[in-house]
Amino acid sequence: MNQSRREFIKKAAALSAASCVGIQLPFVLSNAEAADQGASWHRGSCRLCGVGCRLELGVKNGQPIALRGVPEARTNFGYLCMKGMNFWKCMRHPDRLTKPLYRAKKTDKFQEISWEKAIDIAADKFAEAHKSGGGAAVAYYGSGQALTEETYLFQKIMRGGLQSNNVEGNPRLCMASAVGGYQTSFGADEPIGGYADIEKAHCFFIIGSNTAEAHPVLFRRIMRRKLDNPDTVKVINVDPRISQTSRIADKHLQFKPGTDLTLLNGMAHVICQEKLYDEEFISKYAAFHKGTEKVSLAEYRAQLAAYTPEEVARVCGGGFTPDDVRVVARWFAQSKGTVSLWTMGLNQRKQGVFANNLVHNLHILTGQLLKDGADSLSLTGQPNACGGVREAGGLCHILPGHRPIENDKMRGQVEAAWGLPAGRIPNGGGLHTMAMFQALNEGKIKALWINCTNPAQSLPNLSKYEAGFKREDNFIVCTDIFPTLTTQCANLVLPTAFHFEKTGVYGCTERRSQLTKKAIDAPGQAKPEVWIAREWAKKLAEKLADPLIAQCVKAFDGLEEGYALPKAIWDEYSQKITAGRDSDLRGATYAVLETMADGAQWPAPTEAHAKTGGTVKKFVKGRDPLADAATTNGDSPYQFYTPGHDDHKLWIWLRDQAQPEEIPDAEYPFYLSTGRIVDHWHTMTMTGRIPELLRANPYAYVEINPKDAGRMGIGPGDMIEVKSRRGRNLLPAKVIDGPLEGMVFVYWHDQHPDRLINKVTIDAVDAASKEPEFKICAAQIKRVSGPQALTPYLV
Amino acid sequence: MKRRDTLSLILGAALATWLAAPGAAWATAGRWFSPIRRNRLRPPGAVAEAQFLARCIRCGRCLEVCPYHAIVMLDIRHALHAGTPLIAVENIPCYLCMKCVAVCPTGSLRPIGQKETRMGLAVIDHYSCLAWRGDTLCRTCYDKCPFANVAIRLEQLRPVIDEGACVGCGLCVNACPITVAEDGGKAINIEPVYAGNAA
Repeated sequence: MNQSRREFIKKAAALSAASCVGIQLPFVLSNAEAADQGASWHRGSCRLCGVGCRLELGVKNGQPIALRGVPEARTNFGYLCMKGMNFWKCMRHPDRLTKPLYRAKKTDKFQEISWEKAIDIAADKFAEAHKSGGGAAVAYYGSGQALTEETYLFQKIMRGGLQSNNVEGNPRLCMASAVGGYQTSFGADEPIGGYADIEKAHCFFIIGSNTAEAHPVLFRRIMRRKLDNPDTVKVINVDPRISQTSRIADKHLQFKPGTDLTLLNGMAHVICQEKLYDEEFISKYAAFHKGTEKVSLAEYRAQLAAYTPEEVARVCGGGFTPDDVRVVARWFAQSKGTVSLWTMGLNQRKQGVFANNLVHNLHILTGQLLKDGADSLSLTGQPNACGGVREAGGLCHILPGHRPIENDKMRGQVEAAWGLPAGRIPNGGGLHTMAMFQALNEGKIKALWINCTNPAQSLPNLSKYEAGFKREDNFIVCTDIFPTLTTQCANLVLPTAFHFEKTGVYGCTERRSQLTKKAIDAPGQAKPEVWIAREWAKKLAEKLADPLIAQCVKAFDGLEEGYALPKAIWDEYSQKITAGRDSDLRGATYAVLETMADGAQWPAPTEAHAKTGGTVKKFVKGRDPLADAATTNGDSPYQFYTPGHDDHKLWIWLRDQAQPEEIPDAEYPFYLSTGRIVDHWHTMTMTGRIPELLRANPYAYVEINPKDAGRMGIGPGDMIEVKSRRGRNLLPAKVIDGPLEGMVFVYWHDQHPDRLINKVTIDAVDAASKEPEFKICAAQIKRVSGPQALTPYLV
Repeated sequence: MKRRDTLSLILGAALATWLAAPGAAWATAGRWFSPIRRNRLRPPGAVAEAQFLARCIRCGRCLEVCPYHAIVMLDIRHALHAGTPLIAVENIPCYLCMKCVAVCPTGSLRPIGQKETRMGLAVIDHYSCLAWRGDTLCRTCYDKCPFANVAIRLEQLRPVIDEGACVGCGLCVNACPITVAEDGGKAINIEPVYAGNAA
């Protein structure tokens, strides 16, 4: 950049001219000021993470102007994080999709078409695919951000209409292992307690979760609890990376990625050795299992014998001492109430279900369950992964209402509720997410509907699955609000209404269902997904000449899509489908939910119970109406009434250390882990369009331990190549005492092709949950150049 | 561009500036006064402002070497100060790569390390900071601080500056989501409190 005198004078002159134009900088209106300006406030849930914060959208002249928290809500007590307070700014963003777009070939340019034509094309292509290959040739890939009504309706049309169990959703990439863990350990999905335990807990065990950044508002509750009781409340953080969450920890145990199974078994070993377990609780409510056989406590202890604290410290990489393991195990077992919290660190693993089991083991052993202040609480990352996908049948192996697909009786119940003949819903045959995209690669799926998610960025080992997205012999429909990497692979892009532009229910981490009502109109021609799905099903029925497809949406015909349609869908789902199930939502009608500051936790069989907030503790007599009615466990205070475990007990699993798919070697010497940062959310399609959030974190970087950086001559901001056997990235370095030595960390929000870390991650999956191992793979890093000025990138 | 065109552009620009701010232009625009003020800082290691003008030879090396284009050169509106380097932290902050201090031929930027840098001091405006107002759980400045938990720490969820450790790099200013003034002022700003100190 050597400049001559002449160039300098030119530049100076140009600058002088620019200064005359006078640029006004934006001024941020505070909530209080917005309220004073005559805004109307509309209550709903936050659109982003799974905490389920309640907030109010300020609307003036039909336009959103602000968001504020709801102080009475039991999820957030009025607090919001930066993402939550600012997401209204993307609602009227000029990038919003407002017209249906179509192209026959994926290499063509999109043409704007009418809704009528768009629905016709979508129905035509799905009908064509169905004629050629039946249910196996069509697929729906949904989202933990879709409203429950949307997921429910789509899976109803797919299963009941097109007779396909190819119904999946992005929660497969996020909490499928938690589902597997809850089902195998407790015999029933979803946590027993909830957030209310935080204020009563005396020990927090946070493992594989950066709650401070991923769930900031929930972290505030944990932090408040710790700060108010610095001596009596202990916080244990277990993570290979020191994160913002570690800041409040009394003890942070850093272990080599993948060795946490050893650590958890080691804690169980100490608990058994020092007799810290709750003998009465175990004898009454617990059973020990190894594989398919039942074993005894003695056999369990014998298996744990190898996991001495000394051995654990060695296997985990020497980041802590054997005494640390003992102390942590004692805190966990002896506190008046221990709450465990985890997210992707345990779930996104080849051993995800096992890791979940081992956490539950500790709770069952010590009896740190079912009482106030004690719970094994898996946090979710999306606002409706629990409510919509886990409960309403959004995964290939489950029908709505926590019904396993392979159970004939369960399928019969759903068929009867839908007015379909017995045998209409196929027994299994659905593909889980990674198999679905593999089938797309192989040309087996001819028509795919992607709703409200961005798999072209969020799948692991992306380059491998790009082939399927690009094939010209399949047809991809995308329903979304913004252009994404996925809409770039679509044939048909349908613009949808955003949150607060439609009505529906979100179910958050703690089994709580909360309603968001329409407050403003969607821009342009954008439509709610429920309308799109209904119209599409009607057309499909015509094209395939199958009245049973029309039967799936008959009850919803002609209803207004802003409120009446979702309400009718919710009524059918809650009244007919959840009746008699553990996720009983019959009391949580729109009428009840509309009156509440937050929402109801299921089981909520009656309106009176729902109005109190529902069930805070599952399985506990006097608190859970279903437990009151149950007699599965005699006259004991806890009734494990779900059919998951035939002995109605909690199962402690013998799970040995098992390795991740890829372990660093001489060629790829680093562990690579991926995760999140506080100001962005998932694929950044929303948060990247909010200037305040984007300027704080304009692009991804790679975190490198100072020792590794020193050894490799890497300085802050240097450009680093991160490469695995599958792909490479080029990212600036952040040298920080965060990741363990020999480990690097990259956050996955960035859309730029050079910084798309999922090109590097591995697509190995957990054998049981089929969840991919985003969190661990082997990589090499190399300094490419000094710092470079980078610009943010959005599709 | 021909030499003639260039000169006429300069003349035109000067005239436009004059017309845009009639009367008070000479006195208020700071043509003869130091441009250093809130969020307008000299690069790391700068000698006291009183000496800077005399020492800096306007060679532009610091700005050439800055990989982030954070350092800009002042233009002719700044008269005596034209050609000297400046960092407008709310546009592009200093990432403390310390490349500029290594190339300065005159010692206007003294060869110092990251931690000894004192470009200024971050000051939080408690009336507009989201965390201090209690509006929301913002801790953007804390997250972006290169000396997190040292220069900025959180007390009861609110950011607090340690005067002894803040280097004034402006990463926090740049990231702050709140813009309170038309000149780009944020809820956290860097005040050049050390600019007057003797070298």
